Amino acid sequence: MKEFIEKTLGARLQGDGGWVEFEKMEDGNLTLIFRGECSKCLILNRCCDWIGQKVKEKFDMDVTVVPVRKKPYFWDK
Amino acid sequence: MAHVKVVRRSLRPEEWTKMRAGWLEKGIYKEKIEITDLMIRDAVQKTENEYEFDGDWRRLTKGDMYFTPDGTAFIRGHAKVPSHFKGENVYFSLKTAAEMIVKANGVYVGGVDPNRERILLSGYVDADEIEFDIEAYNRSKPDDERNTATLAVRGCRQVFEGAYLCTVDEDVLGLYYDLMLLMDIAECEYFNEDLRKFLFQELGRALDLVDFDAFTGAKEAAEYIEKHIYSNDDFKGSGDVCLVGHSHLDIAYYWRRIHTVQKNARTVLIQMRLMDRYPEFRYTHTQAYTYELLEKYYPELFSELKEKIATGQFEPVGGMYVEPDCNVPACESLIRQLLYGQHYFKNAFGKICDNAWLPDVFGNSWILPQILKKAGVEYFVSNKMSTWNDTNRFPHNNFIWRGIDGSEVYACVPPTHFITWNMPSQIQGNWEAYQDKETGGATLSMYGYGDGGSGVTEEMLEMARRFEKVSAMPKTRIMGGSEFLRKNLKDNKNLETWDGELYLEMHRGTFTTKSEMKKVNRELEFKLRDMELLSSLGRLSGKAYPADEITGIWKKLLINHFHDILPGSHIHPVYEDAMRDFAEVNQRAERILSDFKGKTHFNTLNFERGEVAFIEDEDGKDMRLGKKGFWKKVHVPGLSAAEIHPDDGGSGWLKVALTDALIIDTPVYRAKMNADGSFVSLYDKALDREWVKNGGGFNKLHLYADNPGLYDAWDILPNYRDIEKELTVVAPLALAAEDGVSALFQAKIKSEKSTFLMLVRFFKESRLIDVELISDWNEKHKLLKVNFAPDIVTREIASDTSAGVIKREMTKNTSWQKARFEVCHHKWFDLSESGAGVAVINTGKYGVGLEDSEASLSLLRATERPDVTADLGRHDFAYAIFPHEGDYAKGNVNKTAFEYNVPLRKYDAAVPFFIRNAVCDSGLFLQSMKISEDGSMLILRLTETEGARGKIRFDRDVDILNLLEEKTYTNSVIAYHPFEILTVGIDLKCI
Repeated sequence: MKEFIEKTLGARLQGDGGWVEFEKMEDGNLTLIFRGECSKCLILNRCCDWIGQKVKEKFDMDVTVVPVRKKPYFWDK
Repeated sequence: MAHVKVVRRSLRPEEWTKMRAGWLEKGIYKEKIEITDLMIRDAVQKTENEYEFDGDWRRLTKGDMYFTPDGTAFIRGHAKVPSHFKGENVYFSLKTAAEMIVKANGVYVGGVDPNRERILLSGYVDADEIEFDIEAYNRSKPDDERNTATLAVRGCRQVFEGAYLCTVDEDVLGLYYDLMLLMDIAECEYFNEDLRKFLFQELGRALDLVDFDAFTGAKEAAEYIEKHIYSNDDFKGSGDVCLVGHSHLDIAYYWRRIHTVQKNARTVLIQMRLMDRYPEFRYTHTQAYTYELLEKYYPELFSELKEKIATGQFEPVGGMYVEPDCNVPACESLIRQLLYGQHYFKNAFGKICDNAWLPDVFGNSWILPQILKKAGVEYFVSNKMSTWNDTNRFPHNNFIWRGIDGSEVYACVPPTHFITWNMPSQIQGNWEAYQDKETGGATLSMYGYGDGGSGVTEEMLEMARRFEKVSAMPKTRIMGGSEFLRKNLKDNKNLETWDGELYLEMHRGTFTTKSEMKKVNRELEFKLRDMELLSSLGRLSGKAYPADEITGIWKKLLINHFHDILPGSHIHPVYEDAMRDFAEVNQRAERILSDFKGKTHFNTLNFERGEVAFIEDEDGKDMRLGKKGFWKKVHVPGLSAAEIHPDDGGSGWLKVALTDALIIDTPVYRAKMNADGSFVSLYDKALDREWVKNGGGFNKLHLYADNPGLYDAWDILPNYRDIEKELTVVAPLALAAEDGVSALFQAKIKSEKSTFLMLVRFFKESRLIDVELISDWNEKHKLLKVNFAPDIVTREIASDTSAGVIKREMTKNTSWQKARFEVCHHKWFDLSESGAGVAVINTGKYGVGLEDSEASLSLLRATERPDVTADLGRHDFAYAIFPHEGDYAKGNVNKTAFEYNVPLRKYDAAVPFFIRNAVCDSGLFLQSMKISEDGSMLILRLTETEGARGKIRFDRDVDILNLLEEKTYTNSVIAYHPFEILTVGIDLKCI
């Protein structure tokens, strides 16, 4: 799961200036850390839904993506 | 006493006018018919115009989510044009945050993007049924963040708002543009207060004539504006502003260069469609590379583009292959930008560009004017100094720029940003900021969205058509870039002169960010020199010259000199692309070099190598920068070969003792060093002098907090020294190895998150001290520097520009001196007194900090935007401390720096005697040896690098060429002046 999130899907997010890291998977909750442009994205929920769909396609698993935003200091106002 | 602030809660008349002006947008479309027969297929772009599809075609309906991160989508649709649309202009409309190229019935009809939603179909497609094919690219970052309307729609996933066939109410649209123009003036404080009050009043009266339910009365409102506002010339403006349409297109930035294929095509297509409708429109477009892309992937558009260029509406500008960074690339790279760029323009469109168009570069090297001038470029345009300087206001906009050798070009640093949307407030702002009103003629205002292309919009051209109706506006004229430059700068005797580098007081971090790229780039610039030199010599001995491959290799390197690639201001995938490109360049160059493998070491430099050198050798017992080899004090004449074997030397030349510090005694020095590798003392035995200022701080590592804010990768702020982080010694400096040539000392240092292995090498027979730093770098927002506080009284620092020396003041008396606290250099910097000095030579570091008589070499940064992982990981680089007699010239600093950067390798090559005789030890550096682009000549590029004057003599007549390899005159003796770049051509038939 970590490799799929960070290498496969992560590469896609990086193409838009974003960044995602796998944090943990517990009780169907997939906790992901978002950095870069993702950390301040106003519609990150749409991307989380897409990640959930991709996880379902790949692992046949229903997950709820729990985003954790890690903003750099200059956006953390 | 109570303080009561009166708050008006009801609508002001001005707000009521503004509100209604906004409502007009709702009435623009007379009728919209939704296109319901749409299919979409998701994809990811893998390379230029190659895609990996993600699933099959599926139906696309309004309200659907579409696009995926970094995704491309292909959309197909079918629509029937309603019969009652006949006789009217029919449009295609799609509101999107994405970037789309639209074909209708196989015809490129236009593009939609965050800056425009409507494409005119009539005239291009007049059939009753239309098939749409759409290439759609979604970038979550809009072209320009200052266009706030596009910020709201950004994101990797979008909601499809529907596609439509529509007709437009031309009266409402015209009124909408009138209001856009006049409201902008009414709200702009640059304009007369009475005028603004008058406009609000009259616009309010005009809008009273409109019924905002039925959207009737627009024609009457427009007539009212014509009669009461446009016809009123009571309010007089002043100024003369030339409007040049342009779209800034970053080859890579928040997108990869593979996406530039479509960004460019979309931009060109949109501009050409505007030209169809607005014959007065002129548009400028830079970068030969983008034209090449269009020619390769969109031949149909390229063919049409050639027609638009022939009519003069579409204007290639810039002369260069891409818009490169103009700090870090070396002289020969900048020359190749022009050589390949100008040759492309000449071959494709019949003429070269007379200007360099570099609006966004982060400062400009002093070597540029000569390079431009000798490549057919008379004019230079670059915006940043006027709009981005953080300390001083650059004093000119239209002026003459004098280069390091005295060459002059006409220069334009426009007063305002290179991305504007042609609003009156921006034009008035430009005129007010223009500093050469009395001397420079008209001012230049570039308009058009950019960064990622897009360009001029219908709105901007509608504004331009109305400007002459407003008496309060400056006089405006639409024209091309070259026309503006020729009309206002050429032969203008009143222009003032700026003699010096065009230093940008911002983006000082770009000399250091993405350290590995800069290191590899330096290696490749020298490797490509060897590759061409050996291939040319091979040609002289009868081998085939791989001209196309060499050009391809150069172009691959030059693309990556783009001003958001090499400087490091880009997202992570751009870094990966660049490093992959660099690896490919290296591999292709090595493949060519492998044809010249020999048994003896060949000195590709045109002067005798006499310094210690690290000789790569798989059997060598030393390791440096990850390669095996050995050190040797060499003696190899220029352009000649010699056998070099490891030197057994002799022991006993080194004495080491540990007291309160480490005492190192060599035949050259008596050094006292701290545990962290810094010097307490460096006593030079031959010169009988101390090099280290009392108190140390020489070769001392410093780790600073580096928090420049939003422009993280770009900037280092002057406060970086305020917070210093602790570095502790894990293993104190100690002798690690010794042989007959060198002695290696190593120290291990750490910060909270990183470790550094410092390797210091002393040599038995050289003043050179080699320092290698192997870093495991895991910092965030930190700057690593190595400081040098020599015992030297000087107030200036000399630095290599790659083709000459620039001296900069180190004092902090003026705001200009203070602002230059971090500057760009190439292979070395030098602090000297009249009799001696110390140089620090590097292998790919470009940032130097200046602090009174101290200098610091910037080593590593750890930035987070745009690349979260920038510079993290392992780094291994070297620099050398080189004390010397005399100044940098007498001390052979430049030659030593070449020796330090150019490896001695085994090649089989022979140089004709007359060439070696002419160029070796001539006082000029043989910067390049190549075969001319037309295959007829051997080209020798010779650069004066130390500020001397002299003559170079050949035993036969040779052609002196410009940088485009065109003959200027013929002679056997060529006089040169300080910092001159000479290009000599010798007919291959005469060799």
